[in-house]
Amino acid sequence: MVVSRVTSWKRRPVGFNMTPMIDVVFLLIIFFMVVSKFASAEHVPMELPQPEHSQARQVKLRDRVIINCQAAETPAGPQVLYRVGPNPPETLEQISSRLARAQAAARAEGRELIVVLRADRRLPFAEVRAALEVVRENEIQQLRLVALVGEGE
Amino acid sequence: MGQAHSESLKPTPTPGTAPRRTARSLRQASEPRMSLNLAPMIDVTFLLLIFFLLTTTFQRAEGVLGANLPQDRGRPAVALPISPIVIRVESTGPAPSDFALAIDDFAARPASFSELSGFLVDIRQNEGFDEDTPVVIVAGVDTPWEFVVECWNAAVRAGCRRIAFGGEGR
Repeated sequence: MVVSRVTSWKRRPVGFNMTPMIDVVFLLIIFFMVVSKFASAEHVPMELPQPEHSQARQVKLRDRVIINCQAAETPAGPQVLYRVGPNPPETLEQISSRLARAQAAARAEGRELIVVLRADRRLPFAEVRAALEVVRENEIQQLRLVALVGEGE
Repeated sequence: MGQAHSESLKPTPTPGTAPRRTARSLRQASEPRMSLNLAPMIDVTFLLLIFFLLTTTFQRAEGVLGANLPQDRGRPAVALPISPIVIRVESTGPAPSDFALAIDDFAARPASFSELSGFLVDIRQNEGFDEDTPVVIVAGVDTPWEFVVECWNAAVRAGCRRIAFGGEGR
């Protein structure tokens, strides 16, 4: 009698309840899909200014050109890399001609070009000012400075 | 009576042989069982989960501060007949707190950017100043960009609407 009970227990299939695990995994996936915002290639990674009580606002801008001023550590020492959006680093002269073309295209459609300046917070003002001069030379009036949005925004 | 009759109808198993299977049990055995194979779905789900876990980096959102540049080359960014509030910011060392703030024609030297913002609000209460009074930020060439943006942010926070970069600092 005892032997038959043992054999029947051994033959019982071992079940593994997957339902709670799948529930949790799906919840995690939904969480990540909802909170994820894929980084745009135009937004080159850098340390942006983080002002106290930041007044920076998230807005969607049409006809905008992003100028990235990146502080790069090179074997020759710290260097500033200027790039328009995701493009490779360029000289300020090349950026100027690029801005002139974009400005002409925007004006041809009756719109105003907006320049969004993203600069590394550690850069000396002189380096950023050089980029600002390029913007001014192309008679672009609409400028936006990028900073991190404040806590709770 | 009835129970005895039904039992008499059951086939009598032959001793030493397996019980005979009915037609119904044979049909059930031959038909494939309907089941849902969850393995591929779990595979894909785990792949998605691992992808998100590896690629997600939590980051604070970035926004923009409005700024306008002068329309004509060589002209100041603000109309000069109105005397502007000139904020001077200089870096005094490598630490994040190493900066010096000064406002032209005012004796006050704000120690922080919050203080600067409060000071600009106070200035606007005086006669001849309002939110349209130009604010010019003059920064030294070696001043970190962070301090310049802090000044700009303080002016925006104080409600100033016309903010511009000024000439060369030291």
